[in-house]
Amino acid sequence: MNTNEIVRFEHVSKQYPGTLANDDVSLSILRGEVFALVGENGAGKSTLMNLLYGMQKPTLGDLFIKGQKTGANHSPENAMRMGVSMVHQHFKLVPGFTVAQNILLGHEPQKGIFYDEKAAIRRVRELSEEYGLRVEPTDTVRDLSVGLQQRVEILKALRTGADVLILDEPTAVLTPQETEELFVVIRRIVDEKNMTVILITHKLPEVMRISDRVGVMRRGKLVKVLSTAQTSEREIASLMVGRDVIFDDLRTSQRAGRPMLEIFNLKSLNDRSLPALNGVTISVRAGEIVGVCGVEGNGQTELAECIAGMRPAQSGSVTLCGQDVTGKPPRRIRAQGLSYIPEDRMSMGMDARASVADNLLLGRQHSRAFSVLGLHLKKSAISRHAKTLAQDYDIRTSGVDEPAGSLSGGNMQKVVIAREFEFDTPVLLVCQPTRGVDIGATEFIHEQIIRKRNEGCAILLISADLDELFRLSDRLITLYDGRITGEFAAGSIDKQSIGYFMTGGYQEVNAQ
Amino acid sequence: MKGMVQSLRALLRLKPAQKLTRDYLVSLLLAVALALLVGAGVMKLTGHDPLQSYAALISGALGKPRAVGNTLAKTITLCLTGLAMSLAARAGMFNVGGEGQLFLGAMAAAVVGARAQGPAWLVVTLSLLAAMAAGGLYALLPGWLKVRWKVDEVITTIMLNSVAIYFCSYLANGPLKTAERGIAAGTDSIMREAAFTPLIRLSNLTTGAFYAAAVALLVWYIMSRSSVGFEMKLTGENDTFARYGGISTGRLMLWSMVFSGAICGMVGMLEVFGLHKRFITTVSNEFYFDGMLVAMIMRYNPFGVIVMSFFFAILSIGGKSMELSAGVPSELILIVQSIIIFFMAAESGIRTAVGNWISVRRARLRAKKEAA
Repeated sequence: MNTNEIVRFEHVSKQYPGTLANDDVSLSILRGEVFALVGENGAGKSTLMNLLYGMQKPTLGDLFIKGQKTGANHSPENAMRMGVSMVHQHFKLVPGFTVAQNILLGHEPQKGIFYDEKAAIRRVRELSEEYGLRVEPTDTVRDLSVGLQQRVEILKALRTGADVLILDEPTAVLTPQETEELFVVIRRIVDEKNMTVILITHKLPEVMRISDRVGVMRRGKLVKVLSTAQTSEREIASLMVGRDVIFDDLRTSQRAGRPMLEIFNLKSLNDRSLPALNGVTISVRAGEIVGVCGVEGNGQTELAECIAGMRPAQSGSVTLCGQDVTGKPPRRIRAQGLSYIPEDRMSMGMDARASVADNLLLGRQHSRAFSVLGLHLKKSAISRHAKTLAQDYDIRTSGVDEPAGSLSGGNMQKVVIAREFEFDTPVLLVCQPTRGVDIGATEFIHEQIIRKRNEGCAILLISADLDELFRLSDRLITLYDGRITGEFAAGSIDKQSIGYFMTGGYQEVNAQ
Repeated sequence: MKGMVQSLRALLRLKPAQKLTRDYLVSLLLAVALALLVGAGVMKLTGHDPLQSYAALISGALGKPRAVGNTLAKTITLCLTGLAMSLAARAGMFNVGGEGQLFLGAMAAAVVGARAQGPAWLVVTLSLLAAMAAGGLYALLPGWLKVRWKVDEVITTIMLNSVAIYFCSYLANGPLKTAERGIAAGTDSIMREAAFTPLIRLSNLTTGAFYAAAVALLVWYIMSRSSVGFEMKLTGENDTFARYGGISTGRLMLWSMVFSGAICGMVGMLEVFGLHKRFITTVSNEFYFDGMLVAMIMRYNPFGVIVMSFFFAILSIGGKSMELSAGVPSELILIVQSIIIFFMAAESGIRTAVGNWISVRRARLRAKKEAA
């Protein structure tokens, strides 16, 4: 046994009803390293870490933390006591509480029966200095940027003096600058504090940058553990997918046609009735992809919903194929020539309880191909249609009568894309098309988007994934605080500089 | 019964409108068997012979033509109210107001049936239309409040029940009270030739059964074969998705509510024209709530509702005769029904627990085998 070892999995398996999430995983993680755990969605990386953190119990096999077996009553409390902390992908903070209150939640310093605020602030300052994570203890969490909120989460995890910190997809919501800062912090706590950081991720460039070793998971099995210095992105990607993957720049120079989607001075409110769009003007021409970049929560959701008629616009207009469709119901807008891939496929993009066939049918239930007189459904035609689409779009399902919710994330997304792309409308609104989708499916979805562009579609692409935007877009627009802060032709700007516009840098430039 | 409906609703809201799967049907059969067993246990404890009592129940429900007629009549009531519930629920509207819609339908039918002039078929048709319009319009109000102002339809429909029932009661006791003697609270009797005639002598099964069958068939068709049914299903399961996909969800919800109310109104009309020949204040004894239970147990599956209605009708009609011939209190049937509902409400929890246990055991066994 390596004396430097801090965590060890011995033949660990986790059985869920119907799936073997972890299959005989043996792995040892060392003190003072950044260990990246990569794999496609459903490969079992989160499950493995949930076992370590005590959220789940292994069906078989043993877990050791600092040489100590975790045993049957392993729990998050137990894990923390043994020095293991975890920051989840979705933050578990109380928005209305201050930073100090959140960090010390459950362990508040007390004066008699009262909360001792001064001691709490002092304690958080100490923590903040110790780990080099700057936060202001008295700020309210709701007002913080996502990057700062994450910092609060990390401090919360480190509060108990952890030796092992698990970060689940930490960069998913960060700007390039924030990611950079996070990496500095990770390096510092690993190098100076001799801590161990386990990073769950699927972004390979980040793995290459930050990790010392990388473990690749595929279908519940740990396929290989590599030393980062001795591997390449391509090797890791191939191991994840189980075959060679090639990522090329898919853009081709092509002359764009006339404007098909024109958004003029659009203003709208978010769900909390606060201004979300503050006058956005965008024009998308036939045969081009316009990419909207921005940190999430800067109006992207509202922009898409306004265009599609799912959210009322306060003022401004949306013109589709020459027709004003502002304030029209989704039915009319679709008929005018819009297909829409929403960012949230589970709540808007599909009915998880309905079958794959029904999900593919929506929008065509009155068409002559699938109904008699628009009333009587032709079941066999519907099922045939679904099977054809499943084949064309490579939707992997045990049958088109299965509930759509039983598919994997990538296949669900392919259902949405198949349905929307088959309408053959002149304008496409595509939001977060590959979020939570594995590499193989991402490649496929990108090809489909490009195919549509080449067929002459006008495409507005909204995404939080800069790599995706840079790969597909002919033009890029940055959205910050519901305003457009910059517009760039593809190739005229790099990812670092665009991050500046995504965080409102434009306004500072203008102010000068 | 109302209390039970509401607690059941709370349970079902957590997992609304799930599909009627084969697994679920197996669970249902097991629940029925278990409930009958528990019922037998209770009989044993109270000193009755379970076999004899159940035999009395069966023969009481199906032993004589007249019994069969009564059981079928009860089936129709349960089935139509259950389908009314299912239809609205499929589109995401929880119509608890069927009882009130039924009363108004009965009242409208009784008024038109007593006053309209003309041939019998015309009076029947007019009464039927009046009943359906009364029920449907009365359901339109909570439907509109829900669609336009997002007012919870469960609250409004429950409240409107009392309004309708007391309003009808006022009419039957006041302005529309019949002058005939011997009728405590009722309207004038309907045109005699227009009343439905019994299909089986002395039983409650009348020619109204044909109307009921037609409506049941129509509802089944709409829900399972038509494009409107498809839109209703998507609206009920995920209305954001439905709207996103271009369905006019508001209009659909409104119409499903109106249609549901119209069916309830029709049930009222069938009671008046088949049984009482006039409106009386006891025209329905919470029939709609029984139908709701059936609908919820069968997860709003129209065919399932029809089958389950027959079973519940046997329990209900047979239970009364069991009380007479074997001396077993008919409340026992309520125990049996409650146990079925209890098991079905806990069904998914129990099944998940059992499923987990089995799959973990299998994994352990396999690992042992591999180790050996």
